[in-house]
Amino acid sequence: MSFFGFPPSVLLGVGGAAFAATIGLYILKLRRRPVAVPFSPIWQRVLKDKDASQLYSRLKNLLSLLLQLALLTLLVLALGDPRPTALAKKGETTVVLVDTSASMQASDVLPSRLAQAKAKVHELVGGLGGSDRMLVAKMDASTVPVTTMTGEATELNEGVDRLVATDTRVDLRRALAFSADVLHGVENPQIVVVSDGALDTDGAGKDLGNVPVRFIPIGKRGRNVAITGFSVRRYPLDASRYEVMLEVTNTDAAPENIELTLLGDGNVVDVSRLSLKPKERLPRFYTDLGGASQKLEARIRLADGTKDDLGADDRAYALMPERRRARVQVVTRGNTYLDAALLLDEYLDVTTVAPAAYNSGGAFDLTIFDGVAPQAPEHGGALYLNPPESGSPVKLGRALSDFGFDSWDKHSPLLRFMAVDNVQIAHGHALVPDKDDHVVGASEQGPIVVSGRRDGHPYVVTGFDPRDSDLVLRVAWPLFVLNVIHSFVEEDATYLSSFRTGEVWQIPAPSDDATVWIKDPAGMRHEVAVKEGRATFFGEHAGFYELEGSGKAAATLFAANLVDPDESQIEPVKDLQIGGERATAVAGFHIGIRRDVWVYLVEAVLLLSVFEWLGYHRRITV
Amino acid sequence: MLDFFRKSRPSTAPRAPRTTTALFDDDFQKKLETLAIVSRRVFAGRMRAERRSKKKGSGVEFADHRDYVAGDDFRFVDWNVYQRFGRLLVRLYEEEEDLGIYFIVDCSASMGFGSGRKFDQARRLAAALAYVGLANLDRVAVIGVNDEVVAQVPSTRGKARIFTLFQFLEKLEANGTTNLGDALGTVVAQHKRRGLAVLLSDLYDPAGFERGINVLRYNKFEPYVVHVVDPADARPDLRGDVHVYDCETGDEREVTVTDSLLDRMEAASRDYLGDVERFCAKSQVPYFPAEVDVPFDELVLRVFRRGGFLR
Repeated sequence: MSFFGFPPSVLLGVGGAAFAATIGLYILKLRRRPVAVPFSPIWQRVLKDKDASQLYSRLKNLLSLLLQLALLTLLVLALGDPRPTALAKKGETTVVLVDTSASMQASDVLPSRLAQAKAKVHELVGGLGGSDRMLVAKMDASTVPVTTMTGEATELNEGVDRLVATDTRVDLRRALAFSADVLHGVENPQIVVVSDGALDTDGAGKDLGNVPVRFIPIGKRGRNVAITGFSVRRYPLDASRYEVMLEVTNTDAAPENIELTLLGDGNVVDVSRLSLKPKERLPRFYTDLGGASQKLEARIRLADGTKDDLGADDRAYALMPERRRARVQVVTRGNTYLDAALLLDEYLDVTTVAPAAYNSGGAFDLTIFDGVAPQAPEHGGALYLNPPESGSPVKLGRALSDFGFDSWDKHSPLLRFMAVDNVQIAHGHALVPDKDDHVVGASEQGPIVVSGRRDGHPYVVTGFDPRDSDLVLRVAWPLFVLNVIHSFVEEDATYLSSFRTGEVWQIPAPSDDATVWIKDPAGMRHEVAVKEGRATFFGEHAGFYELEGSGKAAATLFAANLVDPDESQIEPVKDLQIGGERATAVAGFHIGIRRDVWVYLVEAVLLLSVFEWLGYHRRITV
Repeated sequence: MLDFFRKSRPSTAPRAPRTTTALFDDDFQKKLETLAIVSRRVFAGRMRAERRSKKKGSGVEFADHRDYVAGDDFRFVDWNVYQRFGRLLVRLYEEEEDLGIYFIVDCSASMGFGSGRKFDQARRLAAALAYVGLANLDRVAVIGVNDEVVAQVPSTRGKARIFTLFQFLEKLEANGTTNLGDALGTVVAQHKRRGLAVLLSDLYDPAGFERGINVLRYNKFEPYVVHVVDPADARPDLRGDVHVYDCETGDEREVTVTDSLLDRMEAASRDYLGDVERFCAKSQVPYFPAEVDVPFDELVLRVFRRGGFLR
């Protein structure tokens, strides 16, 4: 036994003084308080027999003194912080990484895996020695410490109690890198990972050096069916309709029958039953859906009415792109075919002006110059149909006659869904593109459709008047006009039907706001800075979010999903391999047994105090 | 307002005191009148002042003969006996007189011990019984004693005197040591007229309670013992190491109070009560225990039922 607190010489001094004081107080205690009685002869009659037991009374008094001296001895020993010599080693510095990813919400161990993990960490805290220190951190897509590096059990336990599971996956590399940084240069470091093992260990643990990693496995089984993919898009040519792609995965080794429900704005759109083979990933498409749905939600549940072990991946959310009207300006002397093509899309705001009335600088997504060209470049996108030499963004080459599309860019969005191979054109001009321009279509005699940018503004130029061809008589004509408009509006190109949890989201926001408010699915509001028209936010929970700017504009909705097949694999692992080495079980760390003897000494003092109190009141020790 | 009723309409109710005290408040006085009515019902048919003395005198009821001595009144010579036996005997008759009732209140320190409940109970009982006595036209005296006579109200009669008794009892204080033998010796010496002597005491007399009672017995008084008992005396609320001392004599003793000791103390107190009761029974002295927890009016009724106080 060694003393790690006060040295024995000090203990002897303190103990001697305390013993002397106790005995002195004990002698004072023997002074009895005077009490009057009405008739002492009755007391005399009773106390005649008492004299015979005086020796016994003295012995009982001595017992009281001995008890108090025993209490004092235990307290003095506790001050010395005695410990078995076998355990006399330097304290350990431990970083405990508690998995708070989505899989830890699984309820295969009640009430949840996270609750079991917390209980395990509480046991670790209970086993801390006097010189041990510990830091507890949550580990999911980010790694955040919830305590300081401390030996205080109270702070550690409070930090553990604050842990909450998120709808994200675990970034083990980030967590281990954090731990390595924290433990850099300390003696007896170790890392304890408390997890169900649904971890991506590739490349993890490279920076750990000699820091041992311990592993406490959580969970006992993994019956789970998950939605691992969910997205929605509008049809390009009919934005009022949309299609949904959904993927369902059975991570269990047994087949499962599920019921899949699709809801639009809270109303059931479709209910279907699916049979999934073991480990099967089943994609499913809902095509040509209509209605005014904005919020889409998919839910699955087991057909037999029971629940799988993880409910977090049984729901997925998506938001359809908000349709807005494209503002189109047409500068023309009159073009029936062009007017007809623009009538096909009801989501166009078309403004037609005569060339003489044209004034540049309007807020239009696209301006169509029909046979004319402005002297100053247009601010938005521009479609030039047979422009004159003056004002055209592309130089006109030689005149052409009786030509057609001999080659064209089949992957260009401007020509999608179009067949232009036999278009006949009476006359026009070849175009002379710059080196950064893109030739969309060309005849053997030169480019006839070119796209590019001038001063940052996109344009498309045709070297012929469509009315001088049979293009305007074809279905391809309105498709070409609408493709140009949609390519300039770029609605589909940047839209995401949902964000993925555990990633940093760049959310389009009003660029004139410095900050915006984001309300998460739980209703909590977060103030987020806006930079270059984007609000940057790290989302951890699946569901619908709202973004509110400072203006009067309505809040912008967006959705977030887990949709992570790896995270939905909740079968617990018993062994964790990090850097090619197996993480060992927690050792040298007697969970639940404190290595501080003084704690037990103080507990003994309390116990003896209870006995003394009972003895005093039962008149045993007085 | 009570004064108004007293003047305009004579009542059997006690006159209202000039000042109402805590000990003998209005409620107490109302109860007294009730007790007086009850006592008349219990002793209905009795004549007033019909308390016959053992003194031979000039009454009408024959008591005994004795030999004639010179100087005797010839009218009382029993000539029939002389004719039959040839002896001159004088007829003796019981003399009728209204004997007194003496309420002897123990005023020692032990009566006022603790909250003084014994002393209060004794004074209330004395007042109530005295009122009943006065209502029955008896001659009543109240005497406070400890080891001597500390104060007294001379014999008086008539209900109107009850307030004098109230004031007297109110002024009594409990202090001094108990010596009933000496104190009651003084009482009998001061009061030649014998009568009923109601002793209200806790009988905590270091010299022995028997002495005082015997003094009354031996001097032709008719003792009536009202033993005022406080249960708290038998089982005091004490624990631990204490230094006990007698509140009268100062006798000291160190003791550790435990539950078992308190049990034995309670048993010893019961034994003491038993000793007193046995002595009274043996001496043919009416004995009445009066616990402080019992309301005084209920105790008075018990006294009536027990008999011996009024005949």
